[in-house]
Amino acid sequence: MSPRYALRRAVVVASASALLLGTVVVAGTNAASAATTPKTGGILTFLEHEPRLDHMDPSRIYTGRDLAFMNSFHTRTLVAYNPVPGAAGANLVPDLATNTGVPSNAAKTWKFTLRPGTKFEDGVPITCEHVQYGTSRVFAQDVINNGPTYLLSWLDIPKDKDGNSIYVGPYKSTKEAQAAFNKAVSCSKDNRTITFQLNKSIADFNYLATYGVISPIQKKKDTGDKYDLNPQATGPYKIVENSKTQLRMVRNAQWSKASDPVRTPYPDEVVIQFGLDEEVIDQIMLEDTIPSAMNFGGPLPSNKDKFFTDAKFKNRRMNNSDPYAIYIAFNVKAMPCLEIRQAMYYSRDAKALLDYAGGPDYAGSYATGVISPLVAADYAPTKVVGPGSPDFKPEGNIVKAKALMDAAKTKCPADYKKATEDGITLDVRQSVTLNDTIPINEAAYARAGIKVKWNIISAGYYSTVMNPAKQKDMSASGWGADWANASTVIPELFASFGGFNLSQNTEDPAYKAFEDKVNIAMKTTDRKKQAVMWKELDAYAMKQMWVLPTTFGKAQEIWGSQLANVFFWVPQGNPAYGKIWVNN
Amino acid sequence: MSINSATNSEVDAPISASPAIAGRSPRQIAWSRFKRNKVGMAAAGISIFLLSMSLFAPIVCRLLGINPNDLNLEGLNSSGIPTGDLAGFSREHPLGVIPGTGRDLLAQLLYGSRISFMIAILTTATALTIGFFVGIVGGYFRGRVDGYLGRFTDFLLAFPAFFMIVALSEPMVDRIEKFGIAEGNGARVLFLILFLSFFGWPGFSRLIRSQVLSLREREFVTAAQAMGATRRRIILKELVPNLWAPVIVVVSLSLPGYLASEAVFSFLGLGVQPPASTWGILLSNATRFVTVMPSFFLITAASLVIVVLAFNLVGDALRDALDPRADK
Amino acid sequence: MLKFIGRRAIFAAFTILIVSAVVFGIFSLLPFDPAALTCGQRCTDQIVEANRVRLGFDKPIYEQYWLFLSGIFLGRTYGAGSAAVGALLLWLTVGIGLGIVAAKFKNRWPDTSSSVFVLLATSLPTFVTGLALLIWVSIKWKLIPLSLQGYTSLFDNPFKFIEYFILPWITLAIAYAAIYTRFTRAALLETLGEDYIRTARAKGVGERVVFFKHTLRAVLAPLITLAGLDFAGLIGGAIITETIFNLPGLGRLTLRSVYEFDLSVVLATTILAAVVVILMNLIVDMLYAVLDPRVRIT
Repeated sequence: MSPRYALRRAVVVASASALLLGTVVVAGTNAASAATTPKTGGILTFLEHEPRLDHMDPSRIYTGRDLAFMNSFHTRTLVAYNPVPGAAGANLVPDLATNTGVPSNAAKTWKFTLRPGTKFEDGVPITCEHVQYGTSRVFAQDVINNGPTYLLSWLDIPKDKDGNSIYVGPYKSTKEAQAAFNKAVSCSKDNRTITFQLNKSIADFNYLATYGVISPIQKKKDTGDKYDLNPQATGPYKIVENSKTQLRMVRNAQWSKASDPVRTPYPDEVVIQFGLDEEVIDQIMLEDTIPSAMNFGGPLPSNKDKFFTDAKFKNRRMNNSDPYAIYIAFNVKAMPCLEIRQAMYYSRDAKALLDYAGGPDYAGSYATGVISPLVAADYAPTKVVGPGSPDFKPEGNIVKAKALMDAAKTKCPADYKKATEDGITLDVRQSVTLNDTIPINEAAYARAGIKVKWNIISAGYYSTVMNPAKQKDMSASGWGADWANASTVIPELFASFGGFNLSQNTEDPAYKAFEDKVNIAMKTTDRKKQAVMWKELDAYAMKQMWVLPTTFGKAQEIWGSQLANVFFWVPQGNPAYGKIWVNN
Repeated sequence: MSINSATNSEVDAPISASPAIAGRSPRQIAWSRFKRNKVGMAAAGISIFLLSMSLFAPIVCRLLGINPNDLNLEGLNSSGIPTGDLAGFSREHPLGVIPGTGRDLLAQLLYGSRISFMIAILTTATALTIGFFVGIVGGYFRGRVDGYLGRFTDFLLAFPAFFMIVALSEPMVDRIEKFGIAEGNGARVLFLILFLSFFGWPGFSRLIRSQVLSLREREFVTAAQAMGATRRRIILKELVPNLWAPVIVVVSLSLPGYLASEAVFSFLGLGVQPPASTWGILLSNATRFVTVMPSFFLITAASLVIVVLAFNLVGDALRDALDPRADK
Repeated sequence: MLKFIGRRAIFAAFTILIVSAVVFGIFSLLPFDPAALTCGQRCTDQIVEANRVRLGFDKPIYEQYWLFLSGIFLGRTYGAGSAAVGALLLWLTVGIGLGIVAAKFKNRWPDTSSSVFVLLATSLPTFVTGLALLIWVSIKWKLIPLSLQGYTSLFDNPFKFIEYFILPWITLAIAYAAIYTRFTRAALLETLGEDYIRTARAKGVGERVVFFKHTLRAVLAPLITLAGLDFAGLIGGAIITETIFNLPGLGRLTLRSVYEFDLSVVLATTILAAVVVILMNLIVDMLYAVLDPRVRIT
């Protein structure tokens, strides 16, 4: 339930209102670092608890923090987010392309022209062909999985009778399928301009071009699944070691400042130390043992006060709202009774759990749905759950929960028996915090007579819960928008074609009406009308309680005394890693 | 180090104490020796006290008015540290409360140690029984029997037990639950005991075998053989009494060893699951708060240290008392 | 002797083969699907099936087994021994040393205090002692520099090498030393009561010779049995220590491979662990004969 476990930190195009809604950039650092001049050299070190990054293959990265990290140092994309503080950080700027994309044909055709002088780390100049090949890889979902799959449904490639694209990637497609792909993604004669043909109008297609899923890859260097271990660099750093304990990157001699308007590579080396104990990381930061290090995952709840109440860390910390809505997905197939799902919501002790995670200062606020307030245009309190709804009480509304259980007793007796006698099973990720959250949860649900059991998963959490055969009754998860449109939230989470439909809700009688409306919303080009529809759909999903919404998250970062120019970068909800320099 | 005088005093004492020569069984001799060891007696007292506290945890908790499952969330600050009335020790919470949830530490320790003791004692007993038997058979009969048994123990010892436990934990616990033998934590405890003893006995067996191997070459065994003693007699009367000393030392150390392995499995999330508590769960929880609330850590660790220490001192005293040639 | 070694070597090869077969068998019978585990979020049956082909799980079991066996000795390097060897030396020195002291001063303060010390240390699990050492010794008091960058070879810079490994060594040694202290003490006291020691003393042999030549030698035999087993266990079993100190060890590698069903790694480490155990047993058996003349190798 901590943001470090959330699936992806995603993009939020900040408008002024998004900043008002709680994005607090710690001012001290910006002011302090503005006075100093950038320094080159040194080793920028990140301390990480997890044993590795989820992915490094540009076509497969989807976790926001990893995206921000790899795109800052290693992988260049056609367009990029501008690495500057404040709302301007969410603006697109050209990166490998000379523009941010030129739409035509009612945004069904998108053109990007490549910048000259760009090279891979082996010295091969980057051409349109490389981008075309890179883009094709995501279609091979059997090998290149886990990345964003928008291209599969958006590119104008014929579909088979099941609605799947006939193109299955560069590794084993037929000639006809490859030709269909090459038609949808084509290169100009001079090999400098790439054109995407879409099957519908996508006005914000160029935001997808900030993801590595559209980026240059050399066919002869593509090792399929293994490309993940050592992808070719296009940015200022290349990987020289990727072991079980660390990822080490050094300067890429083939990169030239002249061809890259975005990146300013200050340190000589960038290193991630993997698999460190969380308490050890916090102690290193507290004692400033490695002054050029940064905490890659945020401090433990029990140590947050030490960092955030002590003035000595004033220039070494930040605390921001992150773009996640955190929730517990019901497996609706296993829990078809609406009343019981609602009773679970009302008997949960949201206050105790939020306080446990650090309270409103560090853990965020009670969620009102799955669309985060940071997706400013599409957010409105649903008034169905969370603050603003009639029955919401932070510590749980037991009267309401009991009434719902009574209703369930007659309406769905089998499910009632399961909830009260056999127990409802929750999938959770193995963590030391379970020692505390399990007792808190068991006591809370017991107030309404609900019994809960736990399926503690040590490894492969998402692959287990994403598998309908293995998911138990409820699974904790979190989701952030890929960019500032709830079209990257509602369909992804709840539609049958979505990538993250944990809720198994398609057999719910309430589902049909929902999906029809989702399809209409997807086609709506009037952004204001579309926003209204997303808000309604958010409320609808909450009424059906397909997921149990918990919090809109916050995230903290801590760094050592030698690091300068650390500021919050809105798009992925992280520091702008590439702008940090080491004073020594 | 004057062995002679000590041995003599043993022999002399009863004679000079009473004019009529009263025969004493080895057990009586051992007991009288044990009684004289003050440290051992104190340790035995503490061990029995702690074991019964943990055995009767529900009654003890009722008497003290504490409950292991009561949460006290209101008195915790945003880091989960108890404040106000909850901070420190009080009549309601003799050892204070656990940060994060505000549950009573003493009650949690009492209930938690029950599971830990159960795992450690049952595992040691099972592993030792098998190991003792196999070790004696192998060491005494040697030749082909020993060869086969030795290869089998070698095979088990060469087995990566730890990884097997990690890999098999989930499916085996499922299996145990499906057969309806035990459920939830019960099944996990059963699995741990079975697997730890299955992979634990070869260690005991090798040790016993090595002792038997050198014992059976000794003069008194050769003498017994020469006198035509039966195998049974040689094993039971000549070998087994001489095995007590190493066995007691190993038991008094492997018991805490199994307490520690329970802790490690809990730490890795493979053992007993919360909300149940064990020493391992409490310790792994306490390490998270070691810098912000050291008392939680110190009390939990100290309770474990006291138990281990007491067990070992009892083991020492027992060894000294049982050893027929010991100088005391 | 040669015949003995030859026989044991043949048998060792058999054991290794059987152990790896059993491990492989257990893992392939487990109700887990490695192909599904590597599949990720958008898991369709198609993808699982494709993964199965990619990972080689579609082949018959014996063929998979051969694939893994042949993959083991190619291109995999191991840097795990250093931690185990150093720790072994440390705990043998400390454990046996304290054991001798305790036996010499039986029931006097050096005995009691050494007992209390080793028991204090050993009753805490390694995740407690390791973390405490790392946080206080390295991070807070800065007595030993924190080195996260990986280790330097012993031959390049022995000082740096020791600096890197000293805390893991201590952590492991603490966990193991107690049993050696206790065992040494018990065995020494027992041996000192033996008739042949009395005889030696009666002959007028010096106390020093009695202790080191006659007593300690007899005690070493069972100690070596223990050490062999513990050392072999450490090769793959120092998971917690490896995790805390971020060592590129075998245990951590295997644990993760078990979780991720990376069978080739599990098999490779299993076989390595088996080889070490069997080798240690062989060495121990031979040392036995050297140390205890009463034992005849047959």
